[in-house]
Amino acid sequence: MTRRSRRNRGARAGAVTALAASLAACAALPPMPPAVPDDIVPSIAAPTLAAADEERLSPDGFDAVQRMAVRIRNVGCGNLSTGSGFAVDSHTLITNRHVVAESETLQVSTYDGRDIDVATTGAAALADLAVVRTRDALPSSAALSGADPEQGEEVTVVGYPSGGELTVTVGRVIGTTTDPLHENLGEVLVTDAAVEPGSSGSAALDSDGEVIGVVYAKTGDDRSLLVPQSTLSELLADDDSFAEVDPC
Amino acid sequence: MTAPGSPWEPTTTSAVPPADGTTTAPPARGRAARITAIVLAVLLTGALATGGYLWQTTSAWQQHAADWETEAQEYAEQVATLRGELEATRAELDATTEQLDTATARITELADEKAQLGDENVASRQYLDYQRRVSEAAGVVATALGQCTAAQSQLIGYLNNREAYDQADLERFAADVEGLCDEANEANEQLQSELAQ
Repeated sequence: MTRRSRRNRGARAGAVTALAASLAACAALPPMPPAVPDDIVPSIAAPTLAAADEERLSPDGFDAVQRMAVRIRNVGCGNLSTGSGFAVDSHTLITNRHVVAESETLQVSTYDGRDIDVATTGAAALADLAVVRTRDALPSSAALSGADPEQGEEVTVVGYPSGGELTVTVGRVIGTTTDPLHENLGEVLVTDAAVEPGSSGSAALDSDGEVIGVVYAKTGDDRSLLVPQSTLSELLADDDSFAEVDPC
Repeated sequence: MTAPGSPWEPTTTSAVPPADGTTTAPPARGRAARITAIVLAVLLTGALATGGYLWQTTSAWQQHAADWETEAQEYAEQVATLRGELEATRAELDATTEQLDTATARITELADEKAQLGDENVASRQYLDYQRRVSEAAGVVATALGQCTAAQSQLIGYLNNREAYDQADLERFAADVEGLCDEANEANEQLQSELAQ
């Protein structure tokens, strides 16, 4: 091979190399910018309300626990007393037996002052509990908790202490005891939630708003006594548990 | 390739200039120069093209950045507007919540007032019923006692003129008077019972 041919070949190789380098450099060149979009879609979706939360929305600013509470006026034969109660479905109220006892008529009113017509009243023999069926629909109702509360659990009592305004008080479950009034079979719950005469029949709720008991008395040291929800559930499950209350 | 049958002669480049006296550039050097020129031209063309492309790209990116900036400013204005509206809505919501709280508290008060009035109404009705029962009982007592005293006065008159009446009639009348007075005592006991309530 001559020097000339070697030189030519070198030149060609150089040219090819230069061309290849140029092409490679082209690949490294920045691309042209894309068009700016007319509208930008946000990557974070706007917050929406879950269907379950929507159902919990109050139609009038009152909490569900207030909407399911009722005031019960027991117009007896020459006497008058008041108590509390709560709805467990659209036409059923739970209260205490002693709230509806010796009654000529029962007058039920809701948190917003509406009067509810009473159809029938039944009282339990084995516990200080009564069931009141209504003709009018009740505004809201509470579900029963599946289990009785443990010691230390928070409890919310909603009712009409002393027949006054609808009141919500908060306390904790202290424990259980045998019923000092001998009105209930089995043990009853003791809480430090403040109650007064007139609070009888109030719903005691857990932190989820479910019923864990029914207030029926207070002790000398200002503790409240509750019929546990397990007793209420058992009695509600048995149709014969509640006997109709005759007027006085 | 050589013709067949001729002896192979090596081709050599002579360093001696041609006999006619003309001078020519060496072919190898000329070709290299041409190639170099072509390469340089290609490189120059490529550099110019690259430069042009880069210039165009830079312009396009500048425009792109400017468009984005414009759009960002529009969005910033929208965000500022929406923030202002959000603040206003929040303030309105706070005011509405406060009004709702006031309204619910008032509804609770009114419900309580209605309940208390209902209680008072029932208590008043029961008191009126009681008063009516007491009045009726007092009336019955007064009537019975009046009848009792009148009959006793009549009996005393009969007894003062005992010979003028049949003994059996007197005894029957005395028994009737005693019955009247017993009824008066019973009515009085009922009245005392009502008063004791």
